[in-house]
Amino acid sequence: MAENAILYDASKCSACKGCQVQCKQWNMMPSTLEKDGNEFTGTYQSMSDLNGDTRLLIEFREEDTPKGIEWAFSRRACFHCSEPACMDVCPVGAISKLDDGTIKLDSSVCVGCKYCTAACPFEIPKFRENFGVSNKCTLCDDRVAQGREPACVQTCPAAAIVYGPRDEMVAAGQARVEELKAEGYDKAELYGVTEMGGMHSLFIAKYGFEAHGLVRDPKKLEITSLMAILKPLTGIGVAAVFGGLGLSFLTSMGYEREGLPSKSKKGEAE
Amino acid sequence: MTNHFCDFKNADVIMAIGSNNAENHPVTMAWVQEARAKGGKYIVVDPRFTRSAALADIYAPLRSGTDIAFFGGLYKYIMDNDLWQKEYVTNYTNASFLVNPDFAFDGATGLFSGWDDEKKYGTADTWKYQIEKEEPWDTAKTYAWTQAPNVPEFTLPVNKIAKKDPTLQDPNCVWQLMKKHYERYTPELVSSITGCPEDKLLEVYEVYASTGAPEKSGTILYAMGQTQHTYGSQNVRAMAVLQLLLGNVGIAGGGINALRGEANVQGSTDMAVLSHIIPGYMANPTAAKHPTLKAWLEAETLAAGYWANKPKFMISLLKEIYGPYATPENDFAYDMLPKLNAVNHTAIGVFESIAEGPIKGMMCWGMNPAVSQSNSTFVREMLGKLDWLVAVDLWETETMGFWKAPGADSASIKTEVYSLPAACHYEKQGTVSNSGRWIQWRYKAVDAPGDALDDFEIMHELFLKLKEKYEAEGGANPEQLTKLHWPYETDGRADITKVAQAVNGYTVEDGKLVKNFTLLKADGSTASGCWIYSGYYNNNDAPSDPTKQPAGSRLKDDPSGLGLYPGWAFSWPVNRRVVYNRASADVNGKPWNPDRMLVEWDGSKWIRNDVPDFGFQVVAPDGTITPTPPGKTAFIMNAEGTSRLFAVGTGMKDGPFPEHYEPFESPAKNLMNGGQTNPALTFGKAASVKPSDPTEFPIVCTTYRMTEHWQTGGMTRNIPWLAEAMPNMFVEMSEELAAEKGIANKDKVRVFNNRASIEMFAMVTPRFKPFTIDGKTVHQVGMPWHWGYASGNATGSVANDITPNVGDANTSIPEYKAFLVNVEKA
Repeated sequence: MAENAILYDASKCSACKGCQVQCKQWNMMPSTLEKDGNEFTGTYQSMSDLNGDTRLLIEFREEDTPKGIEWAFSRRACFHCSEPACMDVCPVGAISKLDDGTIKLDSSVCVGCKYCTAACPFEIPKFRENFGVSNKCTLCDDRVAQGREPACVQTCPAAAIVYGPRDEMVAAGQARVEELKAEGYDKAELYGVTEMGGMHSLFIAKYGFEAHGLVRDPKKLEITSLMAILKPLTGIGVAAVFGGLGLSFLTSMGYEREGLPSKSKKGEAE
Repeated sequence: MTNHFCDFKNADVIMAIGSNNAENHPVTMAWVQEARAKGGKYIVVDPRFTRSAALADIYAPLRSGTDIAFFGGLYKYIMDNDLWQKEYVTNYTNASFLVNPDFAFDGATGLFSGWDDEKKYGTADTWKYQIEKEEPWDTAKTYAWTQAPNVPEFTLPVNKIAKKDPTLQDPNCVWQLMKKHYERYTPELVSSITGCPEDKLLEVYEVYASTGAPEKSGTILYAMGQTQHTYGSQNVRAMAVLQLLLGNVGIAGGGINALRGEANVQGSTDMAVLSHIIPGYMANPTAAKHPTLKAWLEAETLAAGYWANKPKFMISLLKEIYGPYATPENDFAYDMLPKLNAVNHTAIGVFESIAEGPIKGMMCWGMNPAVSQSNSTFVREMLGKLDWLVAVDLWETETMGFWKAPGADSASIKTEVYSLPAACHYEKQGTVSNSGRWIQWRYKAVDAPGDALDDFEIMHELFLKLKEKYEAEGGANPEQLTKLHWPYETDGRADITKVAQAVNGYTVEDGKLVKNFTLLKADGSTASGCWIYSGYYNNNDAPSDPTKQPAGSRLKDDPSGLGLYPGWAFSWPVNRRVVYNRASADVNGKPWNPDRMLVEWDGSKWIRNDVPDFGFQVVAPDGTITPTPPGKTAFIMNAEGTSRLFAVGTGMKDGPFPEHYEPFESPAKNLMNGGQTNPALTFGKAASVKPSDPTEFPIVCTTYRMTEHWQTGGMTRNIPWLAEAMPNMFVEMSEELAAEKGIANKDKVRVFNNRASIEMFAMVTPRFKPFTIDGKTVHQVGMPWHWGYASGNATGSVANDITPNVGDANTSIPEYKAFLVNVEKA
C-alpha cells in the first residue's frame, strides 16, 4: 500500500482553529465543562500545549523583525514518523505502524505507562487522566479506511491542510517552498521529508523551522534503543520496570527540547 | 456585495480595509489564496496586525477612524498620476455632470454649502446638477402602465436631464470639483492623520491604483471597520468612489464587497429589519413626507431608471401584506402601514426613547443588546425601566438575565421578563441570503429540544393569539392585526414555504407564482412580499417543494470558469451574480478584459455569461426578440443612468463628497479641515453618552470579533469546544504602552472611560504599534466583544460597556470602532 501523508502549509493557514475543533468533534474529545476553567495563554493560542483530550493544537508565535511582524502559525500534532520512538518503547504493543505509514495508538491495549510521551522527541502523546491511557493523532485511520480524508483536512476552509500519497505531498511541499522563497520568504522550508526517517505529516514552515517551533534535526534518545532491545528479551513486565527506571533517568537529567511550545519565549512570564 | 465570494479569485488586487476577513470569514481565504496563486496581491489595512495581515502581501497600519483621509489621499494619487480609468469614468460616472455653481466646501469650518445649525443639511439645495432640459413621462409608451385601470393616481415625475461637459473641463463639473476637493489630501498630511508611514501609504496606493488599467480588476473587502463610525456611510461611499475612479465596479474580480457579520444579515436587510425601509429597499413611510399613498408615490418614484417602476413594487407589497382588504378604493390599505414620526428609531434611539418614557415593553428576538449595543451599561439600565421584556434565544443571554449583571441592583428592577426558547439554524428550515446575495434554501436536520420552536412558528402562534384577542376585545387600531393577510399555514400548522411563495410574488386572481419582478403590476393584480427576491421561488409545478425551486437548486456547473455558478441557488436580482455588469464592457460592448467577460456585444446581439444588468433585448408580444445595441446606461437604478462620484439625490446627510472628520472621541485635532467631527452625527448631545476627553483618556480603543466566537457569544460560549478555543476576555496592546503603564503580558488590567471601567487580561503584543499622529505618539488598544456574565463555559467583561452610543449621520450605527479609554493594571 502506498504511503500517505498530511501536508500542512503554514503560509496558507489563517489559524482559524477549525481543524482543532473538528479533531475534537470527530474523535469525541471533550473540553472542560468547568465554568471559566480554561487558562489565558497570553496569545491567541487556546492552551499552552496538547493535552490528553487535545490531539491537535494551532500554535501562535510572533516575532518583530525589520521586515515586519512574522506571525508564525503551527499545527501541532503527531508527525507519524517512519522511525517512531514511541512504538519502539511501548511495552505492550499498543502503538503500531499501518501500511500507509500512519502510527496508530490503540487505546484498548495501552496501559498508560507514558513511555511514549517520554520517548517522543516532540512530547506529543499525552496522558488522558480519565481513561488512564495515552492519546495522540491517529490520522483519522477510521475515516481513511472508509475512503474519507482526515477530519482536519476536510474542515480546512483554505486548503492549508491536504492529504494524499506521501510522494505527491513531498513534491507539492517542495514546490510551495520554492514559491515562497520567490515571494521573499527566504527562510521557508519543508519539515518531515527526512526527519525521523521521514514523516507522514509534513509541514511547510513559512518562516523556517525555529520560528514555527519545529525541532531541527530531531533524534531518538539513546535510552529508546536500549529499551527497544530489551523488550523482546524480557517481556512486558520487566520492560515496564526498566522503562520506569529509564523514565526517571530522563527526568532527572532535566532533558529539555529546544523550541517546544510549552517553553516561554523572550522571558515572558509563565 | 456587488459581487460574491467566489469572485475574489478573479481579482488582480484584493484590499481588505475595515475587514479582518481571514479571521471573521475564514472561508473567504480559499478564493483570496486562489487569486494570489495567479499572481494577485492581497493588501490588508488595519490598526493592528491581524490574522489577515499575517497572510497579506502588504500590511499597512491605520489609526481607527481615518479611512476617509486614506481614501482621499488615494484619489489624489490616482488623479495626479493619471491612473484613473478614463473611458469608464467619463461614460459610466457623473464626472461630466455640471453642478450648481453655488456648491462649495469651506475648509475653515469643514462645512459644505447649505449648512444650518438647526436643520443641518436638511435644506441644502446646492448639491444638485445644472439642468439641461426636462422630459415628462411618455404615458403612451414606456409609462403607459400608469394609465391602466386601478393604478393609483399620482403626479408623474418629470425627468430632469443634467448639463454635461464630456471634456471634463468645466470648473463646475463633478470631475473638476473632485480634483479641487481632494487637493488637500497630500501624502504628508494623510500620513500625519492616519499614522500610516508615508512609504507604506504610497506602496499601497501604487499597487491598488494599478487596477485602474482597463483590463485589471481590484476588489475591496470591508465590514464593520468601515461602517461603525459617525461617518460610516461616507466611508462606504468613499470606497465606491475609489472603485469607480479605477473602473472596478461591475466587473469580475471587482466591486464593493461587504462581508456581512451574520449568516443571514443580508436577508434581514433585504427584508427591512431596519427602521428606515420596508422590504426591497423602499422608504418606510413617514407622517411628514408620506401621509398618503399618493404622497409616497410622488416622493419615492424616480423619474427615470428602474426605480421608475417603484409603484409596481409598492402596490404589490401592500397587496401581499393586506390581501383582499387592500383595494384600489382604500389606496391598497396604505393607511394601515405605521408612519414614522420624527423620532430616531434606530437601536441607539430605542434606548433613548425608553429613557424618555414612551416605550414600555420590548421584544428582543435573537438579539442581545445587553452585550451588543453600545454603552451597554446604559442599555441595561433602560431594560430595567421596561414593564415587560420578551427575549427569544437559544440559551439564557445577558439580556434575558440583565438584572444579574455585575453592579445591577436587582431588588429595584421590576421588569417582567419572558424567555422563549428558540430553535437553532439546524433545527428549522427556510432561506439564508449570504453576503453575495445568494438566497439558499436550508433544510431542517434535527428537531429542536424541549419546548423550543422555530422563530416562524413562534411568530405564527403569537399572531394568531393576538388576532384572537383583538377580535374579541378590540383595542387601539385593531384592524392592523385583524385585517392582516396571513395565509401561511398548511393543515393548521405554520408553513414557511407559504411565506416563500408570498415573498416571490404571485398573480392575485389564480395564486400562480410570478416568474420574476418584471411581471409585477401597480394595479393590485399581483402581490409580492419583497420584489427584489422575485424569481427565487417561482416553480408553479411544485410550490411546496423547496428542492424544486431556484433557491433550492444545487447545480455545480460553472460554464464561464469565473465562479459564477448560475445554477447554485438564486442570486437577487433575477439571478444576477455581478450587479452593474454593463460596466464590465466599454461603450461599444467589448469587455475590458476578454478573459473576464460577463456580457459582450458581438455586433448583432449580447453574449452573456451573467444576467445582464441593463436592457439588452426587447421581447415583442409575439415572442420576437430584438437585441438592444450598447448604450451608456450602466447604472440603471440611478435616474441619471450613471454612478455618482458626487452624491446627488442619494439623501446623504453629511455631504456629497466624503470628507475626513475625527471620531466623536479622538486624541487628535482634525488636520484636514476646521470642523472636528462630522457636523451631522447623531446623539452627540445625549446625556447618556458621557463623552471621554483626550486629556484624561488619551488612548484610542477599538472593538472587534474573533474567529472562535460569534457575536455576543450566546452560542459559542455555551459550546465547550468553542469556549476552550478562545476562553478569556482580553485587551490587546503594544509593548510600548505596556511598558509605559507597567503592565506585563497576562496581567489583569482595567480599561475605563467615563461610561464604565471593565477588567480583563492584557495581551501585550508587537502586533499593535503606537501611531505617530501630528508628530505625537498615540497609543491604540483593541478588545473583542464576545463576552458577558450570563451562564456559559466562559464569562468575561462586556466590551460595549465602554463604547459610545453616538451614531452615524445617515444610519445612526454606533461608533464602536474608535473611542477613547485609559488603561491601568488591576
